[in-house]
Amino acid sequence: MVEPSVISNPDTNPNASRKKRRKIGSDYPNGAAAEPCGNRWRTETEQQIYSSKLVDALRHLRRPDSADAAVRTVRDAADRVLAVSAKGRTRWSRAILARRLSLRLSQIRKKHKRAARPDAGLKKPAVQKKLPPLQRKVRALSRLVPGCQKLSLPNLLEETTDYIAALEMQVKAMAYITGILNGVPAAAAAGGGSLAD
Amino acid sequence: MDQNDPFQSALSSMVSSPTASNANGNNNGENIVLRELIGRLGSICNSGEISPHQPYSSNINNGNNNNNYYNNSANTSCYSTPLNSPPKLNLSTLTENQQIRAGNHFPSLAPFSSDPGFAERAARFSCFADKSLVGLNELDSGKISRVSSSNQSLKISGSNQQNKEADKKLFSRLSRSSTPENAEVGDSRENSSVSQNDASNSRKRKSIPKGKGKGKEASPAAKDANVTSENSAKRSKSEDEKDDAKAKASFDTNQKQSKDNSKPAEAPKDYIHVRARRGQATDAHSLAERVRREKISERMKVLQDLVPGCNKVTGKAVMLDEIINYVQSLQRQVEFLSMKLATVNPRMDINMEALMSKDVMFESRGSLPHNIYPSDSYPNFQSQPNAIPTGTDPPFTPNNFSAAFGRNQNVQLSTIDSFNETASQVKILATAQMKVEL
Repeated sequence: MVEPSVISNPDTNPNASRKKRRKIGSDYPNGAAAEPCGNRWRTETEQQIYSSKLVDALRHLRRPDSADAAVRTVRDAADRVLAVSAKGRTRWSRAILARRLSLRLSQIRKKHKRAARPDAGLKKPAVQKKLPPLQRKVRALSRLVPGCQKLSLPNLLEETTDYIAALEMQVKAMAYITGILNGVPAAAAAGGGSLAD
Repeated sequence: MDQNDPFQSALSSMVSSPTASNANGNNNGENIVLRELIGRLGSICNSGEISPHQPYSSNINNGNNNNNYYNNSANTSCYSTPLNSPPKLNLSTLTENQQIRAGNHFPSLAPFSSDPGFAERAARFSCFADKSLVGLNELDSGKISRVSSSNQSLKISGSNQQNKEADKKLFSRLSRSSTPENAEVGDSRENSSVSQNDASNSRKRKSIPKGKGKGKEASPAAKDANVTSENSAKRSKSEDEKDDAKAKASFDTNQKQSKDNSKPAEAPKDYIHVRARRGQATDAHSLAERVRREKISERMKVLQDLVPGCNKVTGKAVMLDEIINYVQSLQRQVEFLSMKLATVNPRMDINMEALMSKDVMFESRGSLPHNIYPSDSYPNFQSQPNAIPTGTDPPFTPNNFSAAFGRNQNVQLSTIDSFNETASQVKILATAQMKVEL
């Protein structure tokens, strides 16, 4: 009974059909290099790739109905492009891609559930379980990172690392694009500087 | 053979009083080594019948050897035919400690194995164990093959490739049972030298049933291994995996190493080997927890570098707070930026195919001076005439580029800007400007 030394994430997300699935097992031969590493998001090429893809995606967006919907579609498009850029190696990226496909399905399921259990809203919430504060924070973090609800802490931290790096890259790229669109000269410096906290 | 006599006497003494062998051990290093080897071989030979002290060996024989063409029945049959009622020797009563100490000596057996007659003697002594000191002359090649298969059964739990190759070699030789005794002796000799190290591995793995030295999180240990055996087992395992060429591992060095447990975790071969440091608990749960904690802490360190302002923070709780805050702030930024993008994203009715193809072409040009041309030729695609002077653009410099860009912006954004045009322009400018900034 020999387990490989690389951590394996049990992956239960149904992957997007349009995206070729890469098994985690394919990462094993590379050893540590294939682990989600925060460095790969910091390269300029990644930012360029992301920006171009984002622009493409934004161009093909559906016409939104309301202002909120517009924001949501743009946000979703940005997240989706980010997930695609992740090349499927991380759990959160797969979760984002699967989210879109299963959104409708989950909505339908929720409707069915609520119809099936009419007393669901009447019950008071059960006794609040007072988890230790550390555990509560871990739960909160797992809610923030998409697709990492029931993950062990080491894996969760790994996913968080990659997610933070990806988010930073996303912010930079979107700021840049927004700066360009708003006509700010030397848009990258200004856009990035003004929006960074 | 005249060398048989000391072994015979040693064996008899071992049979009579296993504890006495411990006492004598300090005096005769070699004899102890060989005695315990014999004991081990004998117990392995007995392993076909289930012995109460060796539950693991039978499991290992039964279980996971894919290369083992022999069934257990075959093993037992080839053992049991001449041995009608093999009395279970007290060798099987050797405690795990002794066996493991025998394991410690296995590296020292390498020179012994080079002894030409050694394997033969070992074979004979294994049958000593089986037959309770029946005379040697009755032994023949069949028994040596039995020893070889016993060696091979020792290799079952070994997972090294070397094992498997030797295994296959051994099998090929065993299958040709008509080979002369010398050839088999030679083969079993080299195989036994391989197998001894692996036998030590297997022995230790038997004593730590789930291979706790793997240091995995998810493997709950069987708790029947006592702490000392685990200590020594871990010690000897790290010895083996380091592949020490310590041919002469003496008692003294072994005993010293029993106290000197300060070696770090080894590089993983097929599983992670973890070493218990001095003064730390060594049971399976603690080790697994420690490994888990180390994983968590190293990930937290990586996160500490990633999240700004976390250098002074120590402790998981505060770190987690910071991480959560940072992720939330990043997500809020993305939300804010997408709101901004949405406001400059008007209706897109214009067909983008032409622009798309042009963009692709433009993007493929990597060099910077060429990027001027797309902005110049853009007016061709735009319905609005742009007052961009095509010929008056200065040669490319970063400042001029941004100036030209500003000019473009002023001209284009004054009108209702279709996102498409800016998008494609953005793309090119983005790539260009990013290259500028590089």
